[in-house]
This record gives sequence, C-alpha cells and structure tokens, in this order.
Amino acid sequence: MADQAVIAINGVWKIFGDRAEEAMEAIKSRGLSKGQVLEEFGCVVGIADCSFSVNRGEVFCVMGLSGSGKSTLVRHLNRLIEPTAGEISVLGRDIRALRSEELREMRARHIGMVFQHMALLPHRTVRDNVAFPLQIRNEPKSKRWEVSQRVLTMVNLEGYEDRFPRELSGGMQQRVGLARALASDPEVLLMDEPFSALDPLIRRQLQDQFMTLSAELKKTTIFITHDLDEAIRIGNRIAIMKDGRIIQIGTPEQIVTNPADDYVRDFVEGISKLKLVYAHSIMDDLASYSPGPGEDLAKASRVPHDTNLDSLIDIAVDTGQPIVVQDDAGVEVGIIDRTTLLKGIKGGKS
Amino acid sequence: MTDTGFEPKPKSLDSSVSEFARVRADYYSREFSKIQGKSSFAWSWNWSAALFGPLWGSIRGAWGFFWIFLVGELFAFVQIGRGLWGELGGDQIARLEKLNANIAKRQEQAQQLLAAGNAEEAERKLNIAENLKKVASKVQEAAEAAASEAFSILITGIVLLLVIKLIEGFYANLIYERQYLRWRANPKIQSGTDLRSAVVGVLLIIAVWPLTLFRFTVAEPDKILSKLTDGFIGSRIPITEFPVGKEYFGILARLGDAWFDSLAIKFGDFFNHITAGIRAVLDGLELVLIETPWPVVMIVIVVMAFRLAGFRVALFTAASLMYLAFMGLWEMSMITVALIGAGAALCVIMGIPLGIWFGKSRRAYSFAEPVLDFMQTMPAFVYLIPIIAFFGTGKPPGVLATIIFAMPPVIRLTALGMRGVPETTKEAAEAFGCSKWQLLMNVEIPLAMPSIMTGINQTILMSLSMVVIASLIGAEGLGALILQALQYAAKGQGLLGGLAILVCAMVIDRIAQGMYRKKTSES
Repeated sequence: MADQAVIAINGVWKIFGDRAEEAMEAIKSRGLSKGQVLEEFGCVVGIADCSFSVNRGEVFCVMGLSGSGKSTLVRHLNRLIEPTAGEISVLGRDIRALRSEELREMRARHIGMVFQHMALLPHRTVRDNVAFPLQIRNEPKSKRWEVSQRVLTMVNLEGYEDRFPRELSGGMQQRVGLARALASDPEVLLMDEPFSALDPLIRRQLQDQFMTLSAELKKTTIFITHDLDEAIRIGNRIAIMKDGRIIQIGTPEQIVTNPADDYVRDFVEGISKLKLVYAHSIMDDLASYSPGPGEDLAKASRVPHDTNLDSLIDIAVDTGQPIVVQDDAGVEVGIIDRTTLLKGIKGGKS
Repeated sequence: MTDTGFEPKPKSLDSSVSEFARVRADYYSREFSKIQGKSSFAWSWNWSAALFGPLWGSIRGAWGFFWIFLVGELFAFVQIGRGLWGELGGDQIARLEKLNANIAKRQEQAQQLLAAGNAEEAERKLNIAENLKKVASKVQEAAEAAASEAFSILITGIVLLLVIKLIEGFYANLIYERQYLRWRANPKIQSGTDLRSAVVGVLLIIAVWPLTLFRFTVAEPDKILSKLTDGFIGSRIPITEFPVGKEYFGILARLGDAWFDSLAIKFGDFFNHITAGIRAVLDGLELVLIETPWPVVMIVIVVMAFRLAGFRVALFTAASLMYLAFMGLWEMSMITVALIGAGAALCVIMGIPLGIWFGKSRRAYSFAEPVLDFMQTMPAFVYLIPIIAFFGTGKPPGVLATIIFAMPPVIRLTALGMRGVPETTKEAAEAFGCSKWQLLMNVEIPLAMPSIMTGINQTILMSLSMVVIASLIGAEGLGALILQALQYAAKGQGLLGGLAILVCAMVIDRIAQGMYRKKTSES
C-alpha cells in the first residue's frame, strides 16, 4: 500500500480551441509541433504528453515559469479542466470517467485545493470560509464548526474565527485557504502556487509551517510553484515544466546535480548546492587515493555517505584533513580531500 | 538584447515631415518646426490653403478643415450671391404691383359711378383708392430700402469671405501639423496629397454649393429651376422640400392598427390573465396599506425606518407622513405606494432571475441588451398605446407601464454583479465540489448583492417617476392629482402633489439605502 501511486497521469494532453479534437488527431498521426498546431487549427497546446505518478504521502512539486502549463496541469487532477487526451487516475479512480455527482463527491471529500489568490468568500467569516467544503457536503452546523475550529488551530489561527477575510493579512488569508483545504480531510492536496503572492519573509514562514504540517498529516500533495528554491525546500520530487511538457522529474539532488538540459541547468545554476549534494556523489575512490603531505588517513574524520556539503565544509575546516566516507554498514567506501570538496561546491559533481 | 527582433528606429523629425507631406516637403518641414518651436500661437501662412480653401483640406486629407470651411465659404458666397442677384424686396414689389392694380381698378370704378351720376358712391371709391395709395407708398419705401440693402449684404459677404480666407491661411498649417502627429502614431492616417480624396472633395463641393447658392439667392427656386430646365423634369422641381408626403406612412400606420387589433383579439385571454395577476398583487398591497387603520400603517412605517435606517431617517419619515396626512393626501399616497410597490415588486421578482441568466450567458445578454435599451429609451407614450390596446385602462396597465420602464436597471445591475464575481472564487467553490445551485446561492448571489441592491433601489425610484404617466391611462393616486392640476393649470395643486410624490420617493429611497448601508457596515 505504501508505495502505491495515489495519483497517476499518463500521456495527458490539453489543447485549447474550438478544433481541439482535430488538432489532437493531427498531432497523433502527423506529429505536429506547437507552432504548426496554432497555425493550422488556431489551437493552443496547453499540456503536451505529460505523465507522472505520485506516491502516498509524497510532496510532488511541479515547477515552471508562467505559461509553462503547470496550473493547467494541476487542474486536470480534479477535472476543473477537461483533458483532450490521456489517462488520469486519482486514488485509484479514473477521473475522466466520473459522472458529475461522483466528481463533486470526489472534490468535496478526497481532493483539497489551495489557490494562489486565496479565493476566500468575502461575505463569510473565517470559520464559515473554512467550513465551506463541509457545508457543500450538507454536514450539520455543529460538525462544521467543530472541524473548522480544529483545522484553524492546526494553522495557528485560533482567535480569528469570527473575523472576515479582509481583516486578515495576506499570509493569514492563505492560512485560511490552507485550513479550508484541510477541513474536509482529503487524501490529496493540490496547491496552486499558494505562497507566490506573499512577501518573501511570510512565504518562508508559511513554507516552514506547511512542511511541519505536511510531515505530520502525510497528505499526498501536488505543489505548484515558479520558484525552484521553494520546490527544492518543499518537494520530495520535482517535475520541471516548459511549454506544456515535463522536461525532467527527479529528487532535488538529481535535478541539481544532473540537469536534463540547458534550460534546467540555467535554473539550477543559481541554487545553493550545499544542502543538496551529499558525500557519496562527490567522493573519490578510497583505494586509489594517495595521501598528500601532512595528510593522515588515520586522523581523518569518518562521515556517513549522506552527509551534505554544508557539513563536510565544517568538518574540513575543523580538522584540516581529508574526510573518509562510510556506507550504511560503516564500510569505508570513499574519500573527499580539499580539492574534491572545492570542486564539489563549485560544480556539484567533480 | 531584443527578443522580438523588432527595433523601431527613431525617425528624425525633418525626414518624417517630408515623408508625411511629400508634396512641398521643404515648406512643411520649415513651417512645422516653426509651429513646434512656439508655445504661443504660431503665425504660419499657407497660400494654397487660403486660395483653395476646403479643396486643400480634401487633397491633404484634413477633413475637419474641409467641412468647416466648406460651410463657412458657402455662407459667405450666399451673402455675395444675394447681394449681386438676389431679388431683394421682391415680395414688396409684387405687393406694390397688386396695390397699384387695385388703385387703378377703384379709380376706374369711381369714373364709371361718376358718369352714372352716383357721386356719393364714387367719392367712397376714391377715398379707398387714396388710402390704398398711402399703403402703396409705404410698401414702395420698404421695397427700395430692401433693394438698397443688397449693397451692404454684398459688402458683408465679401468681408466675410476675406476673413474666412485669412483664417484658412493661418490655421491650415496648425491643423496639418496635428494631423502629422496623429500620422506618426497611426500610419493609416492620410499623408501627402491624394488624388482620390481630392476627387471626393470636388464632388462634395459640387453637390453642396450650387444648389444651396441657388436656393438662397432666388425668390422661388422651385419654379425658376424648372424654368431653367425648360420644364424638362416637371413644371416644379421641389428642392426646398422632400417630394413625398404621408403616403407610405399612412399605409404602414393602417397596417399597424390592423395588426394590433388582431393581436388584441387573438391573445385576449392571455392579456386578461396578466391583468388579473397584476390586479391580485395590487389588491393585496392596497388592502394592507389602505384598509389597515392609518395609525397602524404610520407607526409600522416609522418603526421600520428606525430599525432599518436609524433615527434620522425615522424622523424624516415621520415628518413626511405628517405632511401627507395633513394635506389630505394620505389615501392617495397609499394608492400610489401600492401602485409602485406592485410595479417594483414584480420588477424585482422577474428582473433578478433574468439578470442572473443574462449575467451567466453572454449570448442571451447580447439578445436582451437592445430590448433593455428600447425599454429604457422609448418614450412612455409610445408603449402606452399598445398597452391600452391590449390591457385597457386602469391600474394594472399602469403597473405594466411602470414595469416596462423600471425593470431594466435591476436586470442590468444584477447581470453586472454576476459578471463581476471573480472567476478564481467561482473556481475555488467548484474545486470544493459545489453544484451549480450551491455555487449560485453561496457564492454568486452573495458576491453580486451590492450590485443587485443598487439595481432594486434604482428600480423603485424609476417606478415613482412613472406615477404621473401611469395616471394618463387611468391609474389613480398622486399622479392623477398632478395630471388634473396640469389640465386646469392649478399651480398650487400641482406643487403640493409634486411635493407629495417627492416625499414618498425620498422616504422609500432613504429606508432602502439605510437598510443596505447598515447591512454592509455589519459585514
């Protein structure tokens, strides 16, 4: 059960325009490019052949610049947007095949969503905003209020229940948005650039708060962002999108150390690698290592293979000796000397 | 640095002016830089504009210049033409001729009577002739005066033409420079000289000038024109009035009558049902407002004003009700309030759902928009006629007329409010599993509420303004009082009645607004 994919999409296409079906046929049979589709059918390709799967409890970030199709993609998962082609399954159900009541049921119980612009109801108090998904499900008032109280406590907003959204700051409003998504206790959370509209300090606080909550609640989360730093901080895995296509999927370390193409490389360039690159990816072979003057392997520190660069630097500065890397079983498998470390800091992999 | 690959090069001012003017480029470059170098009026003289006037404008594509000076020069030419060839005092001369003939006739009659020995009667005829001679001499003076005016009109015309030419000469470059600036921003604007626009200009001048000049210089242009064409087109060529009377109008109007009559017969039952429905609402309201003892109604209204809109509005309401009561207008006012209440209530009941529909469906709204415009702009009298044809007279048709006039604002503002609900909010509600109905009730209507309330308020006030017009087709109440005052020119009655309507309107408006303000300040 643990490794079963909660969300799986396969070959999803979205083409906007009146002649989307024709355009789709043409793409499949003739392999037209985006520009040709626009020219021939007047249709815009929003999502092109996207596939990925997300495991239970995983935080999966989709990162891309504006116009890359990431917000469109996430809206396919609860069918706010109908795909032109492809398979979408969430919690083992074929989303495209749901009838409208089933879809509403799915949205109301199993898929929570947080929006970039909060989209709170201005005429309702914070409590009633949070309770909105429960009201849609026709839960009685007492149940609604009990739940909204509980989730508001989770996001540290107790005491604001009877306020109106406009009386709250942007960061607080987004916490209300998060609380609303959590209120129906869904298995899946869709977060569409939730922190993008906030100022950097508040954004960082909310990221921390979200990570704490996420670790505790273990909701399967799709997190959309245009900020690679945020994706790396939050995501277990990251998908990078460009022009409607996913160009790379991987863990933050894979993305940073092994970018798929120049586009990703450009992004990764400015990212600090110190916390993302680990000893095992830069170490040299221990057997072929010859100690230099003043170096003594016996005095060298032993570190586990998943020590990151940040810690390695501290150790190197303290001891002035090369560092020996051990695997999980404590066997010495590699060594990092000063040169290797500096190269690692500079370029990821030596 | 440029991703677009398109980098507009700044045009140097001189080169672009010559590109714009093309013909006489150097002259225009010089004059434009003179104009652009001045912050006050720039004296820049353009000979060709002064000489050719509107024609210059048409060649250069300066059509504003063309039209203004087409009319200006025409006016001056008309004066000159009247001075040169106008039969000034023509009327008087014709009259003089008639008078002279009359005098001669009387004198002849007098001669005959004298010859027959009837001296007394002859004397009388001669007296008449004398009197006529006095009149004739006056007419002659007038005719001479008119003829001598011709010279001064001629001078005025010439002076006027010169002044216009001066203005043309001095303004042409200023106007042309502005056209140049517009051309820089929008290359579709005409630059240089253009043969086609010159031809259009000439044709327009030919179409406008000769006939107009002819009409103003000649005394009876219709007859003279036919004489000039030698009766070729007809004995009278009508250039002063359009040669069609009411022939077509009559046919269509009769058709319209027949159509309305047949509709009234065909849908008689349907119209009767509508009338009955309106009457039911109206009767209910009148029962509440009139049959209930007046102290109860007054107290309820004042307390309602206090609860909904606060102390000051309550005070104003009490004073207004006192006015109505002491003027003996209480019952009439209540009839009026029932009338507009029924109208406004029906407007709201029908208007809000329609507004919601139009707010959601762009296509429906594009069909409805002209109908709404029609309802609001068409003078009430026009639709009063079919209303009488279909629904007869009395209060229900009055309510119907009120509905036609007062419903558009609530529809429009509801639709506006619905369209103003942010897409993101609607999307969020959908993402939480809202059905269409839940979306409407929980998100769209609450968010559109401010706009809907404004619409209701507008509708109530517009209903009030229909009170007098509704009284034209037999709706009683304050409107009938005013109508009566209008018929008998009873100024005092009109004033007091008007004040009563005003007071009713203000009370309703203040309560409605106060209610809404209170509601918004609460949330």
